[in-house]
Amino acid sequence: MIDVLSYLFFGVGIFFWFWGTSHLVGKRSVLFKLHSLSVADTLGSILIVIGLLIKIPSRWPLLTLAIISLAIWNTMLGYVLAHCSSDEAENQKEFPTETL
Amino acid sequence: MNLLLIAMIAAMLIPMYQALKDDDIWQKMLALGSISSKAGIMTLFISVLRDDWMIGAVGAIILTVGNAGLMLLAHIIKRMDDL
Amino acid sequence: MIGSLILRLTIWFLLTADFTVPNIIIGIAIAFLLPRGYTSPERIKDWLSMLKKILIAIPVAYIEAFEIIIRPHNGEDMILERAKMKRSPIMIFLDVFLITFTPKTIVVRHNQEGCYEVHRVFPIKKP
Repeated sequence: MIDVLSYLFFGVGIFFWFWGTSHLVGKRSVLFKLHSLSVADTLGSILIVIGLLIKIPSRWPLLTLAIISLAIWNTMLGYVLAHCSSDEAENQKEFPTETL
Repeated sequence: MNLLLIAMIAAMLIPMYQALKDDDIWQKMLALGSISSKAGIMTLFISVLRDDWMIGAVGAIILTVGNAGLMLLAHIIKRMDDL
Repeated sequence: MIGSLILRLTIWFLLTADFTVPNIIIGIAIAFLLPRGYTSPERIKDWLSMLKKILIAIPVAYIEAFEIIIRPHNGEDMILERAKMKRSPIMIFLDVFLITFTPKTIVVRHNQEGCYEVHRVFPIKKP
């Protein structure tokens, strides 16, 4: 039962990975790719770690730390990449260079 | 479990291909960020596969600090573009 | 003050997973010795409402993920979202985290007037 459940989590997580990263190939804007990457890398990876957590509950502190840091870092990386890449493209004059 | 690992490696090949192919720096950064979090998850997965918790600790450390470097790099690239 | 101490001790115990007395002493010592940045007084009520929002955001994120997978979202646009004024940096950080965590929306910029510029995707009907 537990094995089946954890394999289900792995399967859905890897499906999210494939779905999200398949959008990486192709000519879309960076921001659009970021949306699908946040599905793949944040949500899919959290599912995989939850699968590991179900399989081996005795190691919960390490895996919980992994889940929390994964969520925070990936989300922040998405925000930082969106911020930096969009600043370059449009309205440069909103932030004059001397204030940066 | 081995099959799942092979599937993960296949999923990691996609952003690698993209990072090599694309010349735009932001698309490259996107692909590299994807690789870094996938590598961290795979490290954790392998540690479960082999029942070796030293590898698991390495995976957790990769996940906790891994993306910080990419964020700094993004800011540096933006700053260089502004100059 | 208390909040940052609790946060540091939580991370320490998750990292070490060891509840022996020396380890607890080391953890508390490190939590006190690490330099603190600015401290901003936060009310407990703010934290509780933020915690509730985060707990709601997790299932919402998965539901949105499945929506994106099932129906292709091809449209993209920028909207302005007004934030509550006079928020402390940590609350702004958590707001940005919440909006960006759900797959359909990403915060691009937080400007000085207290607005978030949010980028989002939505489905387009085929003509």
